[in-house]
Amino acid sequence: MEGECHFLEGNKRAKMWVDYTKGLLEESGIAPDRLKMFNLSSSMAPKFKEVVEEMVEVAKKLGPTKIEKKAA
Amino acid sequence: MIVAERKPFEEIKAMIEGCKKVLIVGCGECVSVCMAGGEKEVQILASQLRLAFEEEGKKLEAGETTLERQCDKEYLEEIKDKVDDYDAVISMACGAGVQFLAEMYDSKPVYPALNTQFIGVAEREGEWSERCRACSDCVLAETGGICPVAICPKGLLNGPCGGTNDGKCELSKEKDCAWTLIYNRLDKLGKLDNIRKIFPAKKYSVQTTPGRRIHEAFKEKE
Repeated sequence: MEGECHFLEGNKRAKMWVDYTKGLLEESGIAPDRLKMFNLSSSMAPKFKEVVEEMVEVAKKLGPTKIEKKAA
Repeated sequence: MIVAERKPFEEIKAMIEGCKKVLIVGCGECVSVCMAGGEKEVQILASQLRLAFEEEGKKLEAGETTLERQCDKEYLEEIKDKVDDYDAVISMACGAGVQFLAEMYDSKPVYPALNTQFIGVAEREGEWSERCRACSDCVLAETGGICPVAICPKGLLNGPCGGTNDGKCELSKEKDCAWTLIYNRLDKLGKLDNIRKIFPAKKYSVQTTPGRRIHEAFKEKE
């Protein structure tokens, strides 16, 4: 949970960078909602499923970007 | 170090309007340390430009490279074989680096990605503050190592002015009064008498622009 990171202040720093990156996405014309940070521990599988589903819904709602798919 | 910040994305994007290939050149010195124009920032800008162009249905090939520094010719020469392949070059160096790059590759449009701000220090991670105005006539020996030219918004050599208020500047409660800092430092050093010295009018004549310096050893002998 926020501030209770295995790497001490790590998840607070990560939150700062995620917020910054959302700004970069917005500048680039990509919806910043495509990126979201959740604080979970390894024992929170049901919550993990929930947040994945939440992000899938966000992606479906926003639809595809115009960015070309590159062959893997 | 020289502190800079990246220009607004829209401004950079507008500069390269119509370009299909741009080379983004970072600088590994000051602007790298102040997280404005180093290798990581080159990668971020290149990615952002590619994404933004694709979102508008356009293609942009953004090359990335970061030089040791852009204020020395030998490092700028490292990109001589690459520059011709691009429509334009975006320099992520300070103003000096941008100009040196533009001078060396004068047939290619060179655009600045940063706004150069000041000569300063890292207060803490992600925060920098100004310490030097490069005035060519350093007074730090007399002022306890605190520069009134850079720290005092009025650049007063004989302070404080009437606007000092509980150690803060009249311009902003956020700003420390440089001359209160100087007084306290001189007191700590047992050199409070220095505060009585009257500085003559500053020698702005030594602050010639554009500045130029030749090391003694490199001066041509008469």
